[in-house]
Amino acid sequence: MGSPLNVTDENFQTVVVNSDLPVLVDFWATWCGPCRMIAPSIEELAREYDGRVKVCKVDVDHAQQTAQGFGIRSIPTLLIFKDGKQADQLIGAVPKSAIEDKLKSVLA
Amino acid sequence: MSSEPTEKSLKRMQIYTEKYWEKTGTSPHPTREVADTVINGLAQNIDELGRPLCPCNFYPDKKAELERSREWVCACDEMKIFKYCHCLLFVTPEGMPITEYLPEDHEGRQVYGIIEDPTPDKGRELRRKADEKIAEWKAEKE
Repeated sequence: MGSPLNVTDENFQTVVVNSDLPVLVDFWATWCGPCRMIAPSIEELAREYDGRVKVCKVDVDHAQQTAQGFGIRSIPTLLIFKDGKQADQLIGAVPKSAIEDKLKSVLA
Repeated sequence: MSSEPTEKSLKRMQIYTEKYWEKTGTSPHPTREVADTVINGLAQNIDELGRPLCPCNFYPDKKAELERSREWVCACDEMKIFKYCHCLLFVTPEGMPITEYLPEDHEGRQVYGIIEDPTPDKGRELRRKADEKIAEWKAEKE
């Protein structure tokens, strides 16, 4: 692994909800400036937490049911799942350190 | 929504954003790609929907959203009332969104802290609606 997985409506349940590892999910869209800003951090986290956290990206324009199901409004929105349940969320162009704090918390 | 917008819509949004930076005393993000991405998204939405709907939100149904309200048509209500652009199109010269007028529990305050407005004499053309908007958000949470 080591790089974010692209997740759609079809495989969200399998990849995210059924995951044995905690999962960081980045809900993003093509024309969202802040989404582009945080993308490098998401990629770095995928590498740095490889084997401990699964990192996924959901393009909301291609996963509308999932985005709607989780009440996504403002993007980027980052959701963190543990044991198949949403454990935390971050909204906006948050710094990498803030995401890491949340990941460390679910790994503790 | 990943195809390129038409030149006509792109030009329209470029002119609009230039004027709105001037009008509100805000700046483009220092990472130019951030502003360019958003302007492209707004232009794309003009092509698709006829209006520059904010590309930094998810809408289950974009057409229904526009029928519901003009809340997220750029410049959005949050920008006109609180001078806050979560899309980071209209920001301080350092690239931070202005958050000082937002209520404390707003996600913008929680993510960015208090970012003061460097040009408080400009913008916020709908500031009179601040109390009404805050009441609306409270009602949505309850």
